[in-house]
Amino acid sequence: MSAVGLDPRVTGAERYSADVERPGMLHAAFVRSPHAHARVRRIDVGGVPDGCVALTGADVEPLGIYGCQLKDQRVLADVARFAGDIVAAVAAPTRVAAKAAAAAVEVEWEELPAVFDAVAAVAPGAPLLHEHAGSSAQDAVSIDVRPIDGSNVCHRFLIRHGDAERALRTADVVVEEVYRTPCAAHMPLEPHATVAEWDGDALTLWTGTQTPFNVRADLAGVFGLPEERIRIVAPPMGGSFGAKTFVRLEAVVAALARKAGAPVRATLDRTEEFLTLNRHPATIRVRIGARRDGTLVAKELDCWVDTGAYADCGPGVATKLGYAGVGPYRIPHVRVDSLAIYTNHPPNGAFRGYGAMQSVWASERTMDLLAGELGMSPLALRRKNLLRDGDRFATGETMHDVHFEECLRAAADAVGYEQDPRGKGLCVLLKGMQTPSRAQITVERTRVGYVVRSASCEMGQGIRRSLRLMGAELLGCEPGQIEVPDPDTDTSPFDTRTTSSRSTHMMGRALELAVADLRAGDGERGTGEIVNEGGLDPDTGQGVASSHWHQGAAAAHVTVDEHTGAVRVEHLHAAVYAGRVVNREGAELQNEGSMIMGLGTALLEGVLFADGQVTNANFSDYNIPAAADLPRRMTHDLIEHEGAEVHGLGETALPPVPAAIGNALHSLGLHVTELPITPESVLDAVDRR
Amino acid sequence: MTAATEPAWLAPSSLEEALALRAERGDEATVLAGGTFLGILMNQGFLAPSAFLSLGRVPGLARMEADGELRLGAMTTHTAVERADAVRTGWPALARAFGLVASPRVRNQATVGGVLADADYASDPPAMLAALEARTVLRSTRGERSVAIDELILGYYETCIEPDELLVEVVVPPAPERAVYRKFRSRSTEDRPCVAVAATRGGTRVRVVVGAVAETPQHFPDLCALADGEELAPGLCDEIGRRYAERIEPMSDARGSAAYRRRVTAVEVRRALEDIAP
Repeated sequence: MSAVGLDPRVTGAERYSADVERPGMLHAAFVRSPHAHARVRRIDVGGVPDGCVALTGADVEPLGIYGCQLKDQRVLADVARFAGDIVAAVAAPTRVAAKAAAAAVEVEWEELPAVFDAVAAVAPGAPLLHEHAGSSAQDAVSIDVRPIDGSNVCHRFLIRHGDAERALRTADVVVEEVYRTPCAAHMPLEPHATVAEWDGDALTLWTGTQTPFNVRADLAGVFGLPEERIRIVAPPMGGSFGAKTFVRLEAVVAALARKAGAPVRATLDRTEEFLTLNRHPATIRVRIGARRDGTLVAKELDCWVDTGAYADCGPGVATKLGYAGVGPYRIPHVRVDSLAIYTNHPPNGAFRGYGAMQSVWASERTMDLLAGELGMSPLALRRKNLLRDGDRFATGETMHDVHFEECLRAAADAVGYEQDPRGKGLCVLLKGMQTPSRAQITVERTRVGYVVRSASCEMGQGIRRSLRLMGAELLGCEPGQIEVPDPDTDTSPFDTRTTSSRSTHMMGRALELAVADLRAGDGERGTGEIVNEGGLDPDTGQGVASSHWHQGAAAAHVTVDEHTGAVRVEHLHAAVYAGRVVNREGAELQNEGSMIMGLGTALLEGVLFADGQVTNANFSDYNIPAAADLPRRMTHDLIEHEGAEVHGLGETALPPVPAAIGNALHSLGLHVTELPITPESVLDAVDRR
Repeated sequence: MTAATEPAWLAPSSLEEALALRAERGDEATVLAGGTFLGILMNQGFLAPSAFLSLGRVPGLARMEADGELRLGAMTTHTAVERADAVRTGWPALARAFGLVASPRVRNQATVGGVLADADYASDPPAMLAALEARTVLRSTRGERSVAIDELILGYYETCIEPDELLVEVVVPPAPERAVYRKFRSRSTEDRPCVAVAATRGGTRVRVVVGAVAETPQHFPDLCALADGEELAPGLCDEIGRRYAERIEPMSDARGSAAYRRRVTAVEVRRALEDIAP
């Protein structure tokens, strides 16, 4: 077995944030709201025993408000906006003592009306969650947010491309449908864990995060410190999938450590994971029109995206969801209205696929409805309209390096779609990468090889191994001679963040520059930087959505027990455009992992709520796919071309899976619009057929 | 403020000691076997015991004997039942029912006594044990009694076990000619059943028990009696299935609505009877 990558995780040698020990360290526990929406009237910490430290609202009064895209979150909530919102924290010598002390804190509540559905939350008279929210000053994170004052809309993203409404009136065929996707949990094995330690007014945090520089910038605002006074060390994570992005526990643990005058560690329970960050539920209405020959004429998309109690990166998710829902098609007239909406759910944020799954589900299911209306093969309808090199997307940008047709054909061929489409379904998607962004990396010679420093975070995706492999090739050494230390904002150069499948693509090119720089200079040290420019105007959706497109397709073959509605996936295939594979084993695992997560999304997963309380916050009641749940056959392609650019592929195979399965059911006359696709919903579809 | 302490840990090293502690502490000390169920309840904050009475060190409770009848000690793990040659050959449907519970990690830990004493409506083994007419042995310092599964499980998480009693053993009579356990899951293969059907046949006498649809395993002797003296022809299987579906009062949960459970019950009872017909 190789000495890098998997070994330490298998042997137990890997050290995660929860393993960080500091002298005199205390342990944190949190006092959480039992109510979905309630004002804290009074907090009594009289019951907290000696030797424990309690942090309450008064302590955080002087601190700043945080939030990566909208500043809407206090270090401790004065109004709890979801059941589980943190209103006080305690530090104690042990976790057990901390939990007991937290249980001894008494809170007097004033309950407020709550809303749990994004569509209801924008209806007149809905309870308001936030009076107003200022946009974040973080350049690296903020998008041009468009909150609607006096409403629960924290961001409104629009695409205005042609005149969709008028064009739909001229279309030969128009289909319309509404789709829903549920809240979902990331379920990494490793829970969130953070250790905070102060030295005077300098703060060090060891925290499982994909976004060390974003966390640093946001905490600088909270504590009124220059960013340089804050150091974020990001140990490897035992999975994240988007869960460990932006400020999660860091602000409250740092505030608690400062009050305690001692280092403090917080490690969440599994139950608390469901109260920390989940995937956005969405309701999406699609209208699409075509000419009789299948040429797409116009598309309208209305998206209600439930970002929960705090915006987090919901504005970004609503944006990406909005343009991914257009699909990889030439459509002359497009209107998209995508709203990120506050509700009294736990916050929703980044989740592998970042909004694409939700709108691809809706959009690609509708393509099969349209094909049905036109009497065309779903494959032929897609092929007729796919974007090709040089076409303009709905955002106005010209598409280059386009491989949608290749991906779709590979997926269709893998399941024998053209020979017999019964029980089979297809999906093709485009997904953007974080744009704009910046990636820096340094290479330094050591006595035994090189050290490569960057803020690319290891979360199981294998970035350390990819950097070693790319570095070894560029530097002419063995991968084992390249040391890749954990990201540390004091010593790692700046990187926007480890998200949106951008690291191998961005850091790989930065590394080429760094090695060239090292060669051009003294041979001891080199620096490389890649910047991708772009961004979308939120009022028109015009601009550059992505400097680099993730392109993929999936195909599914299913059989159905029509007496019970049980679905069996006989074959699932994903085809992902890779350009050039750097780390083959890692790339294959990314495809397989994405497909399996997509399968869970399609058939199993949903966070369940009763009056805003999560009712299935454990691995027994929240089902993720088990080994025996996998398709009977699961195959995939990493499509490569000689001399091609490295393409990101960490998420691409997830979003198309639910729609491929949904469309496979559709080929049997079974129409489902809601995820997950339960046997009960399939049996209902059998009844409706 | 209560002291920040861990729950008391009582770990008797003999059955006599365990029964004495049970008599003394009653329900103040939560009986702990494999801990798979208690672990979830505690992590969720539904249960915060002040004391545990752990059976892990009591010798002899994991004993398994097959001599005409099958005797399973309360601490026998699901894995042990699933893998024992004697169970696989003598009571294959029982081995299967235990083998379908959750995941190997859970089965290595969960026990025969625990799954019965928890009386969780969505567990697999109770319906199968009820179909096999198993009896449990409840012991206390006062003595011992033998209780059938349908007398043991009274409702949601509710049993007839007295606060001073321990479930020490399960006795399964010699296996009938045919037996089957059908587990219908609506989510993951590692999930609990949405509808479970355990069915046995000895001659023309059939016994059908439906699990996971209501508070307790559902058995309707009058409907089973429709098969008395009859061949299990497709029409009869179908009729018993339909009538079971009409008779049960199913509940709704995350695995399915009441209406859905009723429909699936009709299908799965029919299929179970077809399975044991030949």
